[in-house]
Amino acid sequence: MTADRLEAPGPLSGLRVLELADEKGQFCGKLMGDLGADVVKIEPPGGERTRRVGPFLDDVPHPERSLSFWHYNTSKRSITLNLETGPGSAFFQRLAAKSDIVLETFPAGYLESLGLGYEQLSGLNPGLIMCSLTPFGQTGPWRDYQTSDLLHLAAGGQMASSGYDPEDVPDAPPIAPGGGNAWHIGAHYAYMGILSALYHRAMCGEGQYIDASIHEACALTTEGAIAIYLASGTVVRRHTGRHADPGQSTRIQLATQGGGWVNVTRSGSNITPARLAALVQWMDEYGLADDLKDEKYRDPQVLQDNAFHVTDVLTNFFASLPQDEVYHGGQERDFPWGAIRSMDEILDDGHLEDRGFYVEVEHPELGRKFIYPGAAAIYNGSPWKISRRPPLIGEHSQEILCGELGLSLNELTILAESGVI
Amino acid sequence: MGLPRPLEGVRVVDFTWVRAGPWAARWLGAFGAEVIKVEWPQNMDMLRQNRFTVPEGVEPGPNSTGQFADTNANKRGITVNVRTPRGLELVKELISVSDVVIENFSSRIMENWGLGYDELRKLRPDVVYVSMAGFGHVGRHHHYGTMGPAAQALSGLTFLSGLPGEPPAGWGWSYLDDTGGMYGAMCALTALYHRRTTGKGQHVDLSQMITGITLTGPALLDRTANGRKARREGYPPGNRSVWPGAPLVNNYRGPTVAPHNSYRTKGGGYNDWCVITCASDREWQDLVNVMGSPAWAADPKLDVLEGRIRHQEEMDRGIEAWTKNLDKYELMELCQGAGVRAMPVQSSEDRVEHDEQLRHRGMYTQMPHPMLGPWKFQNAPFKMSKTPPIVSSPPPMIGQHNREVLEDLLGVSHEEVLSGHEDGVLWPKGMPTFPYIEEALE
Repeated sequence: MTADRLEAPGPLSGLRVLELADEKGQFCGKLMGDLGADVVKIEPPGGERTRRVGPFLDDVPHPERSLSFWHYNTSKRSITLNLETGPGSAFFQRLAAKSDIVLETFPAGYLESLGLGYEQLSGLNPGLIMCSLTPFGQTGPWRDYQTSDLLHLAAGGQMASSGYDPEDVPDAPPIAPGGGNAWHIGAHYAYMGILSALYHRAMCGEGQYIDASIHEACALTTEGAIAIYLASGTVVRRHTGRHADPGQSTRIQLATQGGGWVNVTRSGSNITPARLAALVQWMDEYGLADDLKDEKYRDPQVLQDNAFHVTDVLTNFFASLPQDEVYHGGQERDFPWGAIRSMDEILDDGHLEDRGFYVEVEHPELGRKFIYPGAAAIYNGSPWKISRRPPLIGEHSQEILCGELGLSLNELTILAESGVI
Repeated sequence: MGLPRPLEGVRVVDFTWVRAGPWAARWLGAFGAEVIKVEWPQNMDMLRQNRFTVPEGVEPGPNSTGQFADTNANKRGITVNVRTPRGLELVKELISVSDVVIENFSSRIMENWGLGYDELRKLRPDVVYVSMAGFGHVGRHHHYGTMGPAAQALSGLTFLSGLPGEPPAGWGWSYLDDTGGMYGAMCALTALYHRRTTGKGQHVDLSQMITGITLTGPALLDRTANGRKARREGYPPGNRSVWPGAPLVNNYRGPTVAPHNSYRTKGGGYNDWCVITCASDREWQDLVNVMGSPAWAADPKLDVLEGRIRHQEEMDRGIEAWTKNLDKYELMELCQGAGVRAMPVQSSEDRVEHDEQLRHRGMYTQMPHPMLGPWKFQNAPFKMSKTPPIVSSPPPMIGQHNREVLEDLLGVSHEEVLSGHEDGVLWPKGMPTFPYIEEALE
């Protein structure tokens, strides 16, 4: 990346976001903050509870050391406010009156009960875009149900598609993939809704309310499972490391030497005779081509009919090679294969280095720098960047409440003592 | 409808295919953009050939797959051979009157066609160009290809999923096609907003594989800041937050709690499962009460989180002995009514037929499709008070809008459109067309 490009403002610069979000919405705030929006995180006094989620730096639990909080709260500022107090509510309203976006994840109806719902806030600021990102949305029979990441992946259909072939793990349960992805899925859609509302506002000036549902977002994120049901009336079966589908399919997750794995997408059905020839030459260097040199495999139909056999020969070949050799060897021969990498293997990928993916972020109060993951996309005309490390609890209360709302330090002291901030 | 559409007046040239790219453009269409999908029948979109989603009784063909239909709603479609000089010229004319160009080819395809960003910019100086290659357009492995599952593998997402000591379970669908598609739409919307405020277009270089890495943040920071190995005992922990007997470390699915698992429910069918999590000791007591306070659960050793983690196997067996006598929805209502976090594992059928919340929220819109008949399309997972996204039209049949786009939008003569279907510019020479194309050309 060139220095010039990093100096340019991000695509969302100039926008002020007020974020009232726990695990459900903090990622959406990060997406906006890293793209240049001024995201002010409004935390309850003592700090947002996502600061209590591990892992912690050096395994020392502390609200300023949560690596989970760190990742999801880059490029934000933080103030603390107790919205259930009169002054806290009043300060929030004054901030909302001059903000562009309010993102909140409280239980449905909570902000309204405090007089801080969209109806009230839009009266102060008709251009305001307010997004409520909640488990089930603001209406419906499940509106008030309690959830977690695991619960969403169950109800949303992720688990019904993920798991094991019975030959691999008999009686395996459906598996919920890890990493907190229900929250990611919700955040992506909320971001999309917010951006469309921003574009509309840029055209005509009016704001609006967005009622986003994590359950619906998850239910929408199972690729073809719904279409398969609608077409055939059947539900998909779970397979180890590959697509769930209604029938049998060849394996695409194959073991490599030394406990590694590779994903050889559609190893049987998309191997054409020409591509097989390249593979056979490679396998033959190791004397492991089996009968695939036979001329009969130049007929695509024969190849198709023997997909399972071809997979068997490949399985045997891969088992003798290191994971990376299969991955790169396949890619160089035009097969879109991937090594199943853990964090241990991803760090020294030169391609990521070339793209300036990893970002070193300074935490001055710790006197240390840490490597954070960077951006999915390079915005060539308006850079993504982590503009600051995640905020300390209420780190910016003074600059915002005094600097912008005109409070004196003495007034700030009283607010702290009385539990407002 | 009558309601305003936020992207009204934005025209998108959609070169995408398979899933991630088309899914991105579909959402731009849902917001009111005019999306024109550019295809070539000899290099057919894989989803037009999806064998699992042709309903019984429907003649198989490129316009008959349900998966293509839902992925490509809200678009019009044309067929043009960009490898012919005239075809390339026509596509360039289209780009010059459009706002967004989006594609998910391998990294050098567009450039090789003479449609790289520098060329696009000459045609339309403020164009928003979103490329969605597997590895992006920059970097030593830019030429590597990916489908969703390989991108998931390389990004670390696959490794996050499974039981300890077993092969990775991974994701039973192309999560990075769904989510890669989201990012394509997010990039386009973001760059469009930027253009709206500054007047400047740009090339946004998205990588499907790297998108996955950004979704592993806490795990990645645990590696870079703490040096903790990802290949370790008890990881990944299945559906639990921590595996019994494994080192007590956070495994990146929120707070470490127990119970946090899947359990069989009544019927014993393939998807007769539920999940239950208790976020606090108090919630555990609520669960104990809902279960009718069985003796094993009243054991004080389970009163505190530490004990429930230590005795997880025993506790989970006890819970399952209870859940397996209850229907999964009955269990959900019973638990949720008592403030206990529990939900059913829902199959596709469950979501379409049995999920009262999705029904209440109108998750699926039925719309007539020329081949599939009445077909359910998936709606956006959010309501907007002023500019709701909608499923506005079924997907294009291949070549369906050749005449109206080329004649009405680009001003190409009717004679040329007719001859283009004979000379290999608008339809492959010698390939039979479809009745709807013949009718349109009359």
